[in-house]
Amino acid sequence: MPRYIEGSEVNFTENDKIFVDAEFYTGEKFTELELHRMFPITGLTKYIALLDKEGNEIAVIRNIEDLMPESKKVVENCLREYYMIPRITRFIKMSEKFKIWMWTAETDKGICTFEIRNHITAIKPLYDGRVLIKDANDNRYEIPDVNKLDKKSLSMILPKL
Amino acid sequence: MKTITNKPIPEKYMDCLHKNVNEGDILFAVVGDLNLKGRYAESLMVFTKDKLVAFDECYESTFYELSYTDIETAEVKRLYGNAVFRVTLKSGTKRSVLRFSYASAEVADAAAVFINAVNDGSDYEYEAETVKSVYHKQRCFCPKCGRKLPNPEAECINCAGKGKIVSKFARYVIPEKKSLFICMLLSVAATALSLAPPYITKIMVDDVIPGRDSSKLVTVLVALLGIYILQYVMNGLRSYKLRLAGDRITLNLKKDIYEKAQYLPLSFYDKISTGSVINRVNSDAGVIQTFIMKITQEAVVQAFTLVGLVIIMFSMSWKLALFSLIPVPVVVVAGRLFGKIIGPKYMRLWRRSASISTVLANSIPGVRVIKAFTNESQTIKKFERYCDEWYKEDKKVAVPAAVFPSVITFLVTCGSIVVWFLGGQMVITGNSEISLGLLVSFVSYASMFYTPINFFANMSDSYQNTLASAEKILDIVDAEPENNFGKGNTLDRMQGKIEFKNVNFAFDRSKKVLSNINLTIEPGDIVGIVGTTGSGKSTLINLLMRYYDDYDGEILVDGVNVKDIDMKYYRDAIGYVQQEPLMFRDTIFNNIAFGSGRVHVEQVIHAAEVANAHGFISKLPDAYDTMLGERGVGLSGGERQRVSIARAVLKNPSILIFDEATAAVDSETEHLIQGAIERLISGRTTLMIAHRLSTLRKANKIVVVDKGEIIECGTPEELLKMKGKYYKLVEIQSMGEQLQKRKAEENFE
Repeated sequence: MPRYIEGSEVNFTENDKIFVDAEFYTGEKFTELELHRMFPITGLTKYIALLDKEGNEIAVIRNIEDLMPESKKVVENCLREYYMIPRITRFIKMSEKFKIWMWTAETDKGICTFEIRNHITAIKPLYDGRVLIKDANDNRYEIPDVNKLDKKSLSMILPKL
Repeated sequence: MKTITNKPIPEKYMDCLHKNVNEGDILFAVVGDLNLKGRYAESLMVFTKDKLVAFDECYESTFYELSYTDIETAEVKRLYGNAVFRVTLKSGTKRSVLRFSYASAEVADAAAVFINAVNDGSDYEYEAETVKSVYHKQRCFCPKCGRKLPNPEAECINCAGKGKIVSKFARYVIPEKKSLFICMLLSVAATALSLAPPYITKIMVDDVIPGRDSSKLVTVLVALLGIYILQYVMNGLRSYKLRLAGDRITLNLKKDIYEKAQYLPLSFYDKISTGSVINRVNSDAGVIQTFIMKITQEAVVQAFTLVGLVIIMFSMSWKLALFSLIPVPVVVVAGRLFGKIIGPKYMRLWRRSASISTVLANSIPGVRVIKAFTNESQTIKKFERYCDEWYKEDKKVAVPAAVFPSVITFLVTCGSIVVWFLGGQMVITGNSEISLGLLVSFVSYASMFYTPINFFANMSDSYQNTLASAEKILDIVDAEPENNFGKGNTLDRMQGKIEFKNVNFAFDRSKKVLSNINLTIEPGDIVGIVGTTGSGKSTLINLLMRYYDDYDGEILVDGVNVKDIDMKYYRDAIGYVQQEPLMFRDTIFNNIAFGSGRVHVEQVIHAAEVANAHGFISKLPDAYDTMLGERGVGLSGGERQRVSIARAVLKNPSILIFDEATAAVDSETEHLIQGAIERLISGRTTLMIAHRLSTLRKANKIVVVDKGEIIECGTPEELLKMKGKYYKLVEIQSMGEQLQKRKAEENFE
């Protein structure tokens, strides 16, 4: 069974933004741990695995809400850095050439252009209104609520859902 | 000299770059699309023979310079949806130098390898050439159409084919041109005949009935009967011929899609569900056939009718003809609007129906598992949910699909009312040359006139529906098939020497599965491949089987690159026994003979004997004629495995691969299978993936794979002496076996 972290038994500190160092109340110390969401689509704040350099699982955070405020902040920042899933707020342009679609979108990380080769496999609508997109380079994007997009963006994306 | 780069060097760094780096010194550059804070922005990293210079708006002075001599190691750390180029400095400090999305990850990987190799004393010019080849591969696009090619020499299937959807489907129509032409002539003749009855009505109303001429009436009616008989006979004949031609078109289309699907690489099936492929073969081909029929037949007939009617109507009364044309522009505009509204809806509807097929394709074959876990109600609920989704989408299509034809029909009816009103006025006042007979006849023609208009207006509906299906079919037809550049190249006799040279592989850009694989296997070697689950053992075999071709490095068999050997010849020379062998719904005999062409009965029996399968097969009531259920239902796991070994025996392969062939069977069956394997492998190069090390006792070479790398390789004795991972695995397993033995003895006592 994984070693679960319930709350205050670990103190997390930041390491080069994308890693964390962990010190358990037992005195054990681990450095350069990677945070891995076990449910990156359905559970963003729960069950976060801590992996060492070799990829071995050290422990699993049950819920980051239960961590100490400082540690929670460190973990949240690190997850934000590690998981790059830009949230699309609107679509600016879509063009097609030789069966390759170029989408330009405004996201919370700035404006980006990405390439899609097959909409059926690249776009996955979820039941809660979210839409997940994986581009030709395996980068991920998310539309938090497709129904909240503006009319123009909606008319561009709806036929592809 | 032009700098080698994955994207054009950002303008904003040009000045700074020229000030700090001599252009001639730049070997290559990596252009990123994120800044170090993870926001979209341009970033750059250039490499010279002794230093790297990174440009990012997050650096205080915009750039950061680092000499290779200060770097201990360089690596690309893949995060989720992005990656970081990191260096560990000799001082021990770690530093992120550049951040980018996966689009630039591959070239950055090459850059990290470059720095590490140069630091290890390798020649920078030689290493820069290696980097260049990675860039080259990245830019393998067809110069004509921009499609990504698997290698620079590959032919672009998009440009080699005719390109356009119509021309792609035309080749199914061309063989039927004779039948279709006859059908078309019959249609045109029948249509021409259908234009006559209204004219006969005019003659009757204006001449025959007012003239009270009975004999003329009989003559006219006989003529009318003759026209009707001829018309319906022609229509019947046409329907028959058309149906056959249509069936042949669908048949060929289905055959082609299925054939193409067989030659698609495994990477295609990794990304697409089987349900959606089944949907394409079954229903989409039918949709295309209907549309082709519509275009080649009805459209021509309707166009002919339209032109004929316009000529007749204008010759009867140009004024009434003009009034009849009033609704036409409205109908045409409405048709276009309708197309725009309904097109995307059809696309969505298609996706929902493909989802239903996927659920079916997933759950029906898995019905045993569903029953075992009593998950029937959940499965039903899931299916219902997908059906409801489809229904919801279909309702959205149903509204415009039902309303539009009604609106058009209403407009048409209004048109005929206008004609009746104006024509009626003309007849009543008697001012014009219009007779009552002519008016009745004209109204008949006018009502016929709207049928082709209606047809063309509704065309957009079926056109949109067809376009959605055509796009799905072309997804398969246009997909890159497995590369077979060495077609026709066979080896005189495959000895079975296998070499992996610097092989690197990733299923997608997010994670490398195999890195830096170098391995030589001599002919006749029996090689055991061991490692933990997910270490990359099976992927190694997948590459050797050429299931995935998109790897870096080379795999050679008898000194020839496997990509240059004819695919059929190559795979025929390999016997592959999988952990869970797939049986087909066929007899045991045919299952053994699968893939071996025409074989003699005794060859099959011999193969079964070698595989220790003959014993149990001959005891079955129907023996070799025993019909297996889907996926081999009717045989135990061990029996299925032995049938699959017999299959491999029959092929008489030069190379044998066993992928955990005894993992899922009991010790006794394992013993039987082991016996079969030992008989089979003599004199053949054999690769065996095994969890149970006891199955590798015949192996003269052991390869230990861990996290995608070969960490140990040598004879079992050498590896035991090394006391590394293999030694540990042996220790653990022998301890486990002893424990098991002791327990068994205790229970026995």
